[in-house]
Amino acid sequence: MKTSLGLVLAFCLAGLQFVAITIIMSSSYVTSERVLLNHARSLLRDVGVNTIAHSKGFLEPAKGAAELAARIAENRIIASDNRELLEQLLFQQLQTAPHLAGLFYGDQRGNFVYVKHSEEPAPFRSKIISRDGEDRETELIWRDHTYEPVSRIADPADTFDPRNRPWYLRAQTERTTVWTDPYIFFSSQNPGITIAVPVISDDGDVQGVVGVDIEISELSEFLSELKIGENGTALIVNQNGDVIAHPKPSLLRAVNTDGTFRFAGIGEIEDQIAQAAFGDLSRMDQVLIDTERYAEFSHRGADYVSTIMPTMSTELPWTIAVYAPEADFIGAIVQNRTRNIWIAALVSVLTGVVGLFLANYINRPVRAFAVRAALISQGEVDPAAPMPRTYKELERANTALTEEIMQRKTTEREYGQTFELSSRGMVQISAETGALIRVNSKFASIMGYEVEELLERNVADFLAPEDPALFDQIVDETLESGDASIEQKCVRKDGQSVWLRVNAIMIRDNHGKPLHIVATINDITKTRNTQKQIEKLNRDLSHLARGELLGQMAAGLAHELNQPLTAITQNADAALMTAGENKVQNEELNQILRDLDQQAHRAADIIKALRSFARKGEEWKTPFDLDALIDQTLHLVQAEATEHGVSIAVALDDLPRVLGIRIQIAQVIVNLLRNAIEAMAESDSTDRSVRITASVEKGFVKVSVDDTGPGVDPGLDLFSQFETSKADGMGLGLSICRSIIEAGGGRMWHEAGDPSGARFCFTVPVADK
Amino acid sequence: MTDNKETVFIVDDDEDIRSSLTRSLSKRGFVVETFDSAQAFLDAYEPGLSGCIILDYGMIGMNGLELQQKLVTEGRALPIVFITGHGGVPESVQAMKAGAVDFLEKPFRTDTLVERIRQALKISAATSETRKKALRAKMMLDTLTTREREIVDMIVSNPSNTTSKEIARALQISPRTVDHHRARILEKMQANSMVELIDLAIASQRLS
Repeated sequence: MKTSLGLVLAFCLAGLQFVAITIIMSSSYVTSERVLLNHARSLLRDVGVNTIAHSKGFLEPAKGAAELAARIAENRIIASDNRELLEQLLFQQLQTAPHLAGLFYGDQRGNFVYVKHSEEPAPFRSKIISRDGEDRETELIWRDHTYEPVSRIADPADTFDPRNRPWYLRAQTERTTVWTDPYIFFSSQNPGITIAVPVISDDGDVQGVVGVDIEISELSEFLSELKIGENGTALIVNQNGDVIAHPKPSLLRAVNTDGTFRFAGIGEIEDQIAQAAFGDLSRMDQVLIDTERYAEFSHRGADYVSTIMPTMSTELPWTIAVYAPEADFIGAIVQNRTRNIWIAALVSVLTGVVGLFLANYINRPVRAFAVRAALISQGEVDPAAPMPRTYKELERANTALTEEIMQRKTTEREYGQTFELSSRGMVQISAETGALIRVNSKFASIMGYEVEELLERNVADFLAPEDPALFDQIVDETLESGDASIEQKCVRKDGQSVWLRVNAIMIRDNHGKPLHIVATINDITKTRNTQKQIEKLNRDLSHLARGELLGQMAAGLAHELNQPLTAITQNADAALMTAGENKVQNEELNQILRDLDQQAHRAADIIKALRSFARKGEEWKTPFDLDALIDQTLHLVQAEATEHGVSIAVALDDLPRVLGIRIQIAQVIVNLLRNAIEAMAESDSTDRSVRITASVEKGFVKVSVDDTGPGVDPGLDLFSQFETSKADGMGLGLSICRSIIEAGGGRMWHEAGDPSGARFCFTVPVADK
Repeated sequence: MTDNKETVFIVDDDEDIRSSLTRSLSKRGFVVETFDSAQAFLDAYEPGLSGCIILDYGMIGMNGLELQQKLVTEGRALPIVFITGHGGVPESVQAMKAGAVDFLEKPFRTDTLVERIRQALKISAATSETRKKALRAKMMLDTLTTREREIVDMIVSNPSNTTSKEIARALQISPRTVDHHRARILEKMQANSMVELIDLAIASQRLS
């Protein structure tokens, strides 16, 4: 399929810039997102680093307080068994480090001093367990800020022994500062950790252990204050997979079956996103991360990014996990991008429209040229008309086209004139269907139609019903030999038959495929009819000559016979009268004479009967064209004339119709012509010609037949029967001829030729008008 | 040609017909004359002939009908009996229309022919009488002087104005002279009255 230049231009101009915009858009889409996600990742890492730093910073004072207390105890700044002093020391420590939950000291004998924050009835509470062997005494003292006791009670039911506690046992065993795993404090039910420092005597024994409780709720608060995008969350997971710090502290606690609290594991915490992001950690034996782990994931249709920081330190085997919705970082960009897409689409449409207009503008001269070419080809525009503003290339094409069209039109006009003005009928027929494509007026007049009527018709419409094979025959013949010539009987519009001579040729295209048939048509009806009339005349004459010779002879000879019969009867009558004059009547003689008269009349009656019998098959006199008849009879003797080298010339005036029995007149003419030809055939003359002339004279047409033969012997009466100049003649021909002519009211005679030869004349009455 | 007696003129190109008919008719007492062609008859024809013509229809040269036509046109009408060997109906009709007595087909009964001849001769005789009267009138008119002839012509051409005065005025002569001429005219014309004179003058005109 050929594409339109306009379409191609429009497609290129609009389509290419659309493609360009799309590429730029998608490139910025991909790159900007990547940049943003990297940014998010570093942001998350920063949060992790911050959190680590903050956590360390948060826990460092507790460690310092514990080590300070241990060194004091070690260096005997206070007597370690001086519990009042120790209590005071711990009290001071607690007061200066308000984020510590409590400080305590337990020794080898099971003594225990514990200072902690309290609420009622005073802000501080001390618990002091004094042991003496198996005896023990436990006292609880509430103090205000000035260390004044507010309340004192003994607690004899207390069974607490520091030497059994995990922190004591670990510090005693490891002889260095230990950090416990985070746990939920029994008293405050807040999460926290304990830092324990052994107090070692000079001889290297462990005298006791100083401990510091520190609540790590602070870490959760810190996490909740962190700004990680809009909706980012950081949480701290310890090596057991427990979440020990979360922006929502309430989520940290889980209840054991015995009613005590523990931390919620990362796999069970009621933070679905955290579960999805970090649930894998719970399946590890120990959550120890070497390097930072960054991930992107989806949860409930939203995209997230997450980072897990490496474990903080061996003392604090914690991991910081951070996650945040992607939208927090790239949401604006996505929005912006959507806007950009709209803008791009709009720009695309706008430039597309501009492109279309541009294409249209560029294409306009081309289109105008195409339209002009079409109009020129339909003849609605003169090819010589000036070309509108256009491109140079089209200008050249136009010149070539115009010349071609002019040439074609000239050819068409010449062909059209040949077609239209032809003296023959001409038709152009579809080779496939037989429909008439073009006809000229001559053909229309032959068929009795209007040209317009014919153009709606098919060849088959004109064929005589008894012979419909014309078209197939023409097609077959033209396909085979290129042309065809046939005679065909067709039917005119008025229903009359018409004989056509059809000469057809097949027109083919460049590939040899048959296109249509061009045929010339001649109306040969008249010729055919004349031919038929001649044939009929010949038949009739033969018939006459054969079958009705006797009757014709009787008719022709009636007059000739009646003459002598009349003479006989008159003579018989005269003889009878003469006999009557005699004195003696001879009755026998009288009877003989009467019989003679009687028999003569009987003979006449027989002739009459014979003549009327012969007349039975005869035509009546009718008016007819003598010139046409003469023309037809010429055909009958032409062969004979040619054989004997005789030429026949005809000179007829403008003749009126005559009255007579046509076939008999024909016989007379043929007889005269044959006589002339035979007379000359026997002579030595080189000038052998017969001349027929006819003219109108006083109500008759006079026909003369002249020959250049030897003429007629003056002593011969050719019109009497049995008188002949021919060696084998019967002497009846001219006699019969004259009878025929005279029976028709005309006359027939012979004259000497001028200058030589013979001339036979006869007349036929003109038919009444 | 004898013109005293009624003559039967036979015109036929057949010698045998002519001779046999002559015999047959002569035996019956007819005066017969024969001609072998129409032209021969015309050549021999003289005014004042009386009798009838037995005319063959089909002849070489001028045929019977043509001869009849010629005679009728020229006022030389003798009664004609046609005889023909063809018996064509149209020709017989044409002949009868032109005044033929009959159209007999050859061969005919002599009695029939004779009967037709007698019929024809009667017609001829009547015509002959009229003719004689006309001839006599003409002969008498020829004896008149020029002036007398003038007067007769005036009377004949305008019979209602025949007084002497009127004639005198027309000829610019005296009425007495006219009276004198009239007396001479009546005498010369052997007429008893002016009516008789007019009758004679008209009869004479038929000759021409």
